Amino acid sequence: MSTPQTLRARAEEQAASLPPLLARAEHLAGAVLLGDHGRRRAGMGDDFWQYRPAQMGDSRRMIDHRRSARGDTEFVREREWQIAQSVMLWVDQGASMRFSSDPNVPQKGDRARLLGLALSILLVRGGERVGLTGTTLPPRRGTAQILRLAEMLSEDGPDDYQPPEHRAMIPSARAVFISDFMGDTSAVKTALTKAADRGVRGVMLHVLDPSEEAFPFRGRTIFESVGGSLRHETLKANDLKARYLDRLAARKDELRHLCSVTGWHYGVHHTDASAQTALLWLYRAMDIGRGVAA
Amino acid sequence: MTVLGGIGFTAPWLLLALLALPILWIILRAVPPAPIRRRFPGVALLLGLSDDESVSDRTPWWLLLLRMLAVAALILGLAGPVLNPSQDNAQGDGPLLIVLDGSWAGATRWTQQSQAIEAQLTRASRADRTVGFMDLSRPETPVFQSADVWRSRLPGFAPAPWQPNADRTARAMGALADAERFDTLWFSDGLDYDGRGGLLAALQKRGAVEVYQTGANVLAMTPATYVDGAIALTVRRAAPGPGRDVTLQAQGRDPAGNAALLATAMATFEDGALSARTELALPAEMRARVTRFDIQGQRSAGATTLTDDGLRRREVALIAARENREGLELLSPLHYIEQALEPAADLIKGSLSDVLPANPDVIVLADVATLSDAEAEGLGDWIDAGGMLVRFAGPRVAASDISRIDEDPMMPVRLRSGGRSVGGAMSWGEPKSLAPFSERSPFFGLRIPEDVRVTAQVMAQPDPTLAERVIAELTDGTPLVTRKPREQGQIVLFHVTATAEWSSLPLSGLFVQMMERLAASSATATPEADQLEGTVWTPERVMDGFGTLSDAGNLPGVAGPDLIDAPAGPDMRPGIYASGDRRLARNVVTSDSDLTPVSWPAGIPVKGFAVAPEQPIAGWLLSLAILALVADVIASLALSGRLLGQRTTAAAAMLALLGGIAGQPGPAVAQDSAEALALEATAEVVLAHVLTGNDKVDEVARAGLIGLTDTLYFRTSVEPATPMGVDLEADELAFFPILYWPITPDQPRPSDEAYARLNDYLRSGGLILFDTRDADIAGFGASSPNGRKLQDLAAPLDIPPLEPLPADHVLTRTFYLLQDFPGRHSSRDVWVEAAPPDAEQVEGMPFRNLNDGVTPVVIGGNDWAAAWAVTSNGAPMLPVGRGFTGERQRELAFRFGVNLVMHVLTGNYKSDQVHVPALLDRLGQ
Repeated sequence: MSTPQTLRARAEEQAASLPPLLARAEHLAGAVLLGDHGRRRAGMGDDFWQYRPAQMGDSRRMIDHRRSARGDTEFVREREWQIAQSVMLWVDQGASMRFSSDPNVPQKGDRARLLGLALSILLVRGGERVGLTGTTLPPRRGTAQILRLAEMLSEDGPDDYQPPEHRAMIPSARAVFISDFMGDTSAVKTALTKAADRGVRGVMLHVLDPSEEAFPFRGRTIFESVGGSLRHETLKANDLKARYLDRLAARKDELRHLCSVTGWHYGVHHTDASAQTALLWLYRAMDIGRGVAA
Repeated sequence: MTVLGGIGFTAPWLLLALLALPILWIILRAVPPAPIRRRFPGVALLLGLSDDESVSDRTPWWLLLLRMLAVAALILGLAGPVLNPSQDNAQGDGPLLIVLDGSWAGATRWTQQSQAIEAQLTRASRADRTVGFMDLSRPETPVFQSADVWRSRLPGFAPAPWQPNADRTARAMGALADAERFDTLWFSDGLDYDGRGGLLAALQKRGAVEVYQTGANVLAMTPATYVDGAIALTVRRAAPGPGRDVTLQAQGRDPAGNAALLATAMATFEDGALSARTELALPAEMRARVTRFDIQGQRSAGATTLTDDGLRRREVALIAARENREGLELLSPLHYIEQALEPAADLIKGSLSDVLPANPDVIVLADVATLSDAEAEGLGDWIDAGGMLVRFAGPRVAASDISRIDEDPMMPVRLRSGGRSVGGAMSWGEPKSLAPFSERSPFFGLRIPEDVRVTAQVMAQPDPTLAERVIAELTDGTPLVTRKPREQGQIVLFHVTATAEWSSLPLSGLFVQMMERLAASSATATPEADQLEGTVWTPERVMDGFGTLSDAGNLPGVAGPDLIDAPAGPDMRPGIYASGDRRLARNVVTSDSDLTPVSWPAGIPVKGFAVAPEQPIAGWLLSLAILALVADVIASLALSGRLLGQRTTAAAAMLALLGGIAGQPGPAVAQDSAEALALEATAEVVLAHVLTGNDKVDEVARAGLIGLTDTLYFRTSVEPATPMGVDLEADELAFFPILYWPITPDQPRPSDEAYARLNDYLRSGGLILFDTRDADIAGFGASSPNGRKLQDLAAPLDIPPLEPLPADHVLTRTFYLLQDFPGRHSSRDVWVEAAPPDAEQVEGMPFRNLNDGVTPVVIGGNDWAAAWAVTSNGAPMLPVGRGFTGERQRELAFRFGVNLVMHVLTGNYKSDQVHVPALLDRLGQ
């Protein structure tokens, strides 16, 4: 199911129907790297942008003599400023993601990987650099990077609930977190705060199984986490429903609040819904920031 | 055995275990239901949540009660409870003799009697008494042995279809002569017989005698007789009683040969009467199928009476060449024969292959010339086995080549070609009358009416054997009726038609008398004993005491007088006896049988059978325990949440549902291909072609019929469905109005069964269009390979005389006015059924008044299908002719096809148009 080959094929399928996503490029010189990604302003790049009269301070080398020879004024040819954005991906690989309540519904982890990789493909097509948070796979361009991403994403983590990886974040890059966020929220808070400190903004996608939203259980039950590290026994599972749903809603609120404070986007996705919807939402979430800024 | 509250226990000490139940209650109630383990990532959110209330910790009281019930039932069941424990041990403890009448009179209540005997055996077994058995209908020396041995042998006893008599009781007394003292239980059937008193006295000397006897009256039925067109049935009873109704049943075979209840009749005993009589009027055909009469609710040989030849009538099968459906009734070739035979015989109609299995006594073939090989073979077997075949001549026989050169096995004489016609407008001489019958003739003695005249006949070829085969002749010495024996049967030929066409014989009373003499009907009366002197009758099927017939096996034959006079017994078993082809039924009860109710001396205690038998109920209680435990399993599962709302249950329910579905036969599977074909072919008019096995020809034929179908659809109100290819061997033909049969030299010859079906098809109004497809290279006839193949294929078919299509044939005007019938070739040789020889053109009419009905065959070589054939996009498939002329020829080919289909579907409708002026004239218009 989650071998790199099939994962990539399916992700390509999902990505095929969307236009290449142009990630928002925040202008921060330190992080700016050249790419074929026009900034709609003059700067360093390969494509022609405009001729402008030569000003004081322009070196002689910069004068475009072909244009200047047609008149008396000296012109300088400017090129469009092209940069690429770095996007860092974190997809939860914890054991809790390897769960589906029904054979017809994909596992959460499976869906999360698919969305992550589909988004990566879109971004790479748009010329962005995509990588993973942490030090394992820094952002790079090109199709080969997708292969590496697919391989890295296919790995399973050992723990039940994995905290978001927040090390080695490139300042002013963008980040995407995909997880069920069932673990400790303080780790998420730490990660987001740290990201905000570095000027990293991004998208948080909360992936949930339908049974986690509905809690359709009755009778005497022992609940175990997928990894087996946690367990809870109850005599009447249906009595717990209301309180469980309250806690889930509280957790969602907390995450939403955290996002709004740090300038992130927050979305919830259920595995029985179509992956395309989630990808569209991700696409828009990555796009909205750019639209506003531009 | 300990008895507690009406129930006995074989192991009462086990009941002490019931005391342990309250302890169990306390132990069981503390066990909570088992939890279910579930994987759930959201458990992180559940941590720390506690249950509101701690219920369901204990088993609910009703589940406990269920378990208690199961254990209690188990304990009670193991304690060996017995219902109705018998405590009547009043009788002594010496040996016990059980005497049975064992006759048919007790057969109806044999089961109750067996139960009563079994109850007695059980008691004897408990009292440790030895038991002996004495069946007075089959007396043997009694063997005194353990009652349990007898109990296992009890189901083997069966009533005899006769009664004890003086002789048998004497033998029984002899067998008991050297036995010591014993008590006797006498199970009586309720009828008195000779020697009973003597036996009773002998038994009373040995010990106490107790009689068990049912209070029900014995009913018996005397043999059925045939009186004035109805079957008279008489029921008798042994003792007079209040009035009551008795339902009598006529059992027999349904037309398919399976046993069936054919009719019922009600007989009413008047108050105090000993016999009741009723009459049952049945159609002759149904009467012939009755094998026995019995009384409803009575299962004994005496309440059953078997039937024999006395109720039978001769069965005569009538077969005409081709039913002239549209002709007048008086023109039907079978009309006069039916009229002549109807009062005296049972008539069967249908095709030859249908009636042969019914094994009629006589088969009449009216103007049938050709028989397929299968038909001829079946008919030959039937004649050899004693059947009588009566044939009538006619135009078809005269036109056919049958029995022309060699004597046909199905004809008594050879025939000369064409027959002769005397006294007509174009012939010399006067119509001939009949010569007196000779003494050898079966008709000898019949008076010949003056006015019988013969105008046409088929002529017998002079032969050395002819003289001895003639049984009726004309005044000029020409044979009129000939006959030849064949094995057991015989073949008779009337050289004239069965209608008034060729002679006035069928109109006369003589015809009726001749038919009666030939296919004589006889309702034979039961013979007297002296009539059967010297004959020996072998039993075919014999009856047991219950009235069930079984095969006689190798029982010896009996002398004829004994069959009538001798009383029933082991040597004279009731049943069906046969001698030659006669069959006689020997019944248990005859009209003079003795039915006297038994009367016992006052000192003998007489009891009924109604003994409530001991019934161990341990099995029931143990079953109840198991059921309660199963219910407990289900309830426990439900309580622990594993039964409902879980996938396993859904799967289980699905399995159960699947099992239920699999148990029923799927309706889709049941429908076989034959039914599918029938549905497809009958929902719409469907043109059909015969599959020849040559792919190219079949493809063209199919495309041709599609083209014709389209043309019909566009131009006429006939809207046929997609044409079908027909496999002659497998498919039913009756659904198709027309069959197109292209001839290829290499196509296989149909089997005999296929020919039988083709003949049925032709006789029932179907049309076959034979196409040799070679009119471009050969004239019509045997000059081409296809022509020779056609002759070979059509030889076994019953095809009437043919002629080239005349200019005034109805085919020329059923839809289009046509004079040419081209296909891809344009030969004029198209042959249809010949017009009757007497068709004449009436002055002022454009057409002759030709034959009614549809010509059964159209034969030609114009390769019509090729001209009709269209490709899938509607364009002509094959070229016809050159240029515009070719297209014109194709158009005419289509018109011929339209005319042909119209002719098949509307028959002689257009031909009848010639009558329109006359009809208008009659209506006064």
